[in-house]
Amino acid sequence: MSNYGIKILNNAISSLSAQQALIANTANNVANVNTPGYTRRQVELAARGDGKAASGGIQVGSGVEVTGVKRLADSFVEQVLRSASGTLAGSNVSNDYLNRVQELFSLDGRGLTIGSTMNNLLSSFNQLSLTPANIDLRLNVMQRGEELVSSIKTVFDTVAQIQKDLNNRVASEVEAINSFTKQIASLNEMISRREASGVSAVDERDQRDLLLQRLAEKIDFKLVDNKGGALSVSLDNGFPLVNGSTSRDLSVTAAPSFGGGSLPPSLSGEVLSYVVYDYGSSGSPSHIDLTQVIKAGSGSLGATLQLRGYAAVTNTSSFQADGVLVGIASRVEALTRSLLVDMNRTYLGGTPGNAGDLNGNSPGPFGLFDFTSSGVKDDGDGIPEYSDLTNPALGIDNFSSILTFAVTNPSTFAAARDIDPNPATTLFQSGDGRNAQALAQMGNSSLNFAVGSFSFTGTFDELYNSSLAYVGNAKKSAEIAVRVAEQSFNAAANRRDEVSGVSLDEEFANLVKYQKAFQASARMIKTAGDLLDQIVSLI
Amino acid sequence: MTRIAENQSQRGLVLNTLANKRQIDKYSREVSSGLKVVLPGDSDDAGTIARYQQTLQRIDGYTSMVAQTKNMLEFQDSVMSQMSELLIRAKELATQGASETFSTSARAHIAEEVYQIRDNVASLANSSFQGRYIFGAGDDDDPPFDPSTYTVPSSGSASTRYVFDAELGTAVTKTVDLTDNLSITVNTPADKLFSNALQALERLGRALGGYSTLPATGAPDGSGVAYSMPNGYATQTADIQNAINLLNSARDNDILPERVSLGGRLRRIETAESLLGLTKNSAEDVLSRIQSIDETESAANLARAQSALEASYTVTARVLRISILDYI
Repeated sequence: MSNYGIKILNNAISSLSAQQALIANTANNVANVNTPGYTRRQVELAARGDGKAASGGIQVGSGVEVTGVKRLADSFVEQVLRSASGTLAGSNVSNDYLNRVQELFSLDGRGLTIGSTMNNLLSSFNQLSLTPANIDLRLNVMQRGEELVSSIKTVFDTVAQIQKDLNNRVASEVEAINSFTKQIASLNEMISRREASGVSAVDERDQRDLLLQRLAEKIDFKLVDNKGGALSVSLDNGFPLVNGSTSRDLSVTAAPSFGGGSLPPSLSGEVLSYVVYDYGSSGSPSHIDLTQVIKAGSGSLGATLQLRGYAAVTNTSSFQADGVLVGIASRVEALTRSLLVDMNRTYLGGTPGNAGDLNGNSPGPFGLFDFTSSGVKDDGDGIPEYSDLTNPALGIDNFSSILTFAVTNPSTFAAARDIDPNPATTLFQSGDGRNAQALAQMGNSSLNFAVGSFSFTGTFDELYNSSLAYVGNAKKSAEIAVRVAEQSFNAAANRRDEVSGVSLDEEFANLVKYQKAFQASARMIKTAGDLLDQIVSLI
Repeated sequence: MTRIAENQSQRGLVLNTLANKRQIDKYSREVSSGLKVVLPGDSDDAGTIARYQQTLQRIDGYTSMVAQTKNMLEFQDSVMSQMSELLIRAKELATQGASETFSTSARAHIAEEVYQIRDNVASLANSSFQGRYIFGAGDDDDPPFDPSTYTVPSSGSASTRYVFDAELGTAVTKTVDLTDNLSITVNTPADKLFSNALQALERLGRALGGYSTLPATGAPDGSGVAYSMPNGYATQTADIQNAINLLNSARDNDILPERVSLGGRLRRIETAESLLGLTKNSAEDVLSRIQSIDETESAANLARAQSALEASYTVTARVLRISILDYI
């Protein structure tokens, strides 16, 4: 009889303790309802056995005990969320930068785009062909020419600046990745150590999951769950970033140690950086190239590299690199080169000395559009040619940034063609606008535009429209990718919250349940006391 | 059973609210700018819009060219009209002078008026349009007929008046492009239009004035070889008649064809002007349809987005206000 009285007391006490543990866990869940990366926890309870049967062979149990605290997480759901985070972060990078680019091709009809300034210039040539000596119309040609040069430079320089920003961003992304991998390795060690000694490491696991998600936003990786609580993080090609308690720092370099040498220069002239792992000693680097594998994957670093551009072969032209930015810049540069060669050749009158200005002088090979350079621009024949521009001795990669409008005095614009039938002499009349007319007619001419891997045959308008469509399509694709990635991310985040998120309703309902159990257990102690008092009073 | 955690319901509410705000932003931008496509990524029609904008830009340029060219040709037409009137007056005078009832002295008086007509014709040939000699062709900074500076090219002696400046470029015709498919000739060289008329008037003036010397000899006004009177009266009459024939020839072969040609070119310009206007209207219509907003539709969209945003605010507020704590 006395065995049961004590048993009742002990069971009630174990229940009080268990209910308090449940309430404490609920308090912790509620406290972390807004903590990023927090995984809700559940106290695990188990009924305690008697060990031996009570009198009469009946086993009534010895109360309850807390066997542990469980993180309610699903590794598959976490993996899906990480993947969605990486895709979303990458899409956002492309979308944000392309938004800046597409503003250069505005269709609001108010801004001076390359397309509108080009048409204005061609129209000014045509106006001049009617009254070629008119100084106001000559000034108009100069202004329209300057506007075209300015709009070309603005587009090209903005695209080049964005590429430069992206190249710098590669370094800061790598820095963040190194910080994450270091922390993950450190948490791997802590988790292994704690769990090996039988201590729960739920907080550390939460922190590690959060860091893995942050890492996934930067770079695509594979995860392997090692025995003993540690995780291995590796790139798609198997290169390990984190292995147990050790991590490997990535770095960026413009001068790699491996064969093939440097990447091509950026549009603004700096050398593009590789992302590498350096296993050499200080002062003697030995690099493993990881740029391509990172570029092919999701995450903001991959998107940054894709947009910035990369060339699989070493060369000296920035237009050999891939990516949308280089694609846009190639189109602008192709237009610039056509102005320097095709339009200048027309301005020349086809051959040197065939066109002239109001002073009777003929323009040089780069008489209408020119570029700033101390090198020798023409090969000596007086005719602008593509081979002049690509001459290695000149050493210029892009002409868009250094393009100038060469006519600075209205009277020196060569609107006339040679009227003298004698090949040995020339005569240019002020009322002759045939050269201006020929320039205007170039607007309807089909030309071959080519730079790097880009080539196009069509009119100036068609080239501009195809460039505009190229930018528009890239932006639309990026926008669609963001929308899809947002939906995937939200679905994955919802799925994760469904499993691991804290529900206040659930927690407070549990709290009431735990309180009631606690009150009932307390009542059991009183009941056991009453029983014992009754027994004592019998003695 | 699906659990709904706090973050889930909050995320859903916030995302819906943000989506509605984005719609408000989109439609309010549309309504304030009047455009639904502003950037290349806004629509698949961006390339088409750019093409129509370029078409309109070119039409504006061509329209300006058409106006200037029309102005220039109308000016030439008015010169040709005055020229015709002067030649008619000259012919009237010549017909009077050819009459055998007119004495030698009466003929000499008529000669004065003929010389004035000749000067007026030369003045028309040297007409200036926007500061340039309109009949100067390529050489439009020199007067086509200069009375003071020219000499007879063959002899180097002093010229008769109004010898054509035969410098290179003065004989060219100029064409300009008024549309992608229309080029128009904008001048006829002064030599072709005025030389014969001036020669005829000069010849008429000399004959009426009593001199048989031909203009090509270079003798100035009021000089040269005089008719021997009275026997030369018949020769003088014949020379006056010859001059009338020359005037007729200049009118029929030079002036009238030019007037017909000018009329034809002006009509072509007017047709081009009208076509440019139609093309412009059509391009503006298409552009408006694919780029501009339908104000009613956009206003309705904006109102709908406003309602949706207000509804999402209401829902968010209501859902977030509900707490189990109020019930336990």
